[in-house]
Amino acid sequence: MRTIAAFILPLIIVLIPLYGILKKVAVYEVFVDGAKEGFTIAIRIIPYLVAILFAIGMFRESGAMEFFMMALSPILGFVGFPVELVPMAIFRPLTGSGSVGVLAEMIATYGEDSLVVKMAGTMFGSTETTFYVIAVYFGAIGVRRVKYAVQTGLIADLAGIIASVIVVNILFG
Amino acid sequence: MLNYIWAGLIIISLIFAVSQDVMDLVQDPYQNGKEHNIEIIFPENGDTDKRQNVRFRIQGHEGTYDAVWRPHADNPELLISVDSDMPELWLSIAQDKDSTNDDEMSAEVVSYDPASGTAMIVLPKVYYVKLNAIATAAFNMAEFAVTLAIGLIGIMALWLGLMKIADESGLMYFLVKGVQPFMRFLFPNVPKGHAAHGVISLNMAANMLGLGNAATPLGIKAMEELQKLNPSKDKATNAQCMLLTVNTASIQLLPPATLVALIGTGVNELMISILIVTFISLMVGITAAKIYERFHPEDDHIENIPDDQKIEA
Repeated sequence: MRTIAAFILPLIIVLIPLYGILKKVAVYEVFVDGAKEGFTIAIRIIPYLVAILFAIGMFRESGAMEFFMMALSPILGFVGFPVELVPMAIFRPLTGSGSVGVLAEMIATYGEDSLVVKMAGTMFGSTETTFYVIAVYFGAIGVRRVKYAVQTGLIADLAGIIASVIVVNILFG
Repeated sequence: MLNYIWAGLIIISLIFAVSQDVMDLVQDPYQNGKEHNIEIIFPENGDTDKRQNVRFRIQGHEGTYDAVWRPHADNPELLISVDSDMPELWLSIAQDKDSTNDDEMSAEVVSYDPASGTAMIVLPKVYYVKLNAIATAAFNMAEFAVTLAIGLIGIMALWLGLMKIADESGLMYFLVKGVQPFMRFLFPNVPKGHAAHGVISLNMAANMLGLGNAATPLGIKAMEELQKLNPSKDKATNAQCMLLTVNTASIQLLPPATLVALIGTGVNELMISILIVTFISLMVGITAAKIYERFHPEDDHIENIPDDQKIEA
């Protein structure tokens, strides 16, 4: 699998212009024409990214996380969800760099062979930074009313979070 | 929904920061204004009227630390180089005080007895730590957002350029044809043979292989293609919501590079669990989006797509 991945990028980058040349497309001119958009899109994303990221940054610094962990732990303990995973579960959809930090900290505390780290790693690998994706994808096209995209994104994340605990428990528990 | 979550994050941050700071005012964990007893060791022939490097010992604590003695009109000042061996209280003051430099803090020398070397000093006062922290975080993240967006420009340009060639040379057409049935199920409102199908399938493939650099520009390109079919330009269509859901919950055939970096070889073990979990979350995501779709019927403008945006099938 890793070999396929290593080949796929260079192959795409080479094959597309090659095919273009064969089809008598003015590849250089067309490429430049398309590439121009890159700048406009990146600039268009900025306000959306600022809006999402600064709110998340504030939340991260406010210490609200510790409170939620405390408040949630009895309920989670009751259903068998490890309390140690709460920061990961809450941070993962919010911030990519934040959840990397959480995971690194968990590895340092619990060791990389522990069950909770396996769960956290699975969670990290299987869900996306939903709010970042929303900001970037909808920001790029100027869509402000995102309808139910947040809900479906979070439902998928929640499914991933719960499934991580169950699947890791079955495989390694 | 996004409005409430966004406002909620900000309001919750403020509430927690304020309550934490009020608690600090009451409990005084930094012991603001407390006089600390230390012993200052001047170098030989040291003159207390001159600025110079000194060492000092904290009472009830082993080890000596570096500082700079700074004479002053009223009370002298001690510029302390923070050392990780210092008592916990000193370290937390150094970290949470106002100034940004965590490696130094200046203390006021209230009294100094040259004969024994003992002195009483007052460490910097620490107030409103959390309020300062969330304000700083807001500014830092705003700056970071721009860095992030600017960093996207190059890669975006590369992929958009390539996609344009693929489009003009007709390469996209083969791809669109191949993935048609699956795409028709996920995006029923996108006309048959539309270029969006091709870009979406490339985006999904890049996501599966963990090629984040390629997935994002392709996803944005796909969004743009879908936006051409969007009658009200600032409100998302069902197809766009589905694309977003598929992107946030994509099947991962390869682990993300960060995970490999953090866990190392142990990641091989996690591959199976990640594969299973991503499959489950994708299925749940698609189902949820399909259910939401029922309650949000699309406006009937889809037929009015200009012909030049359809690829002849």
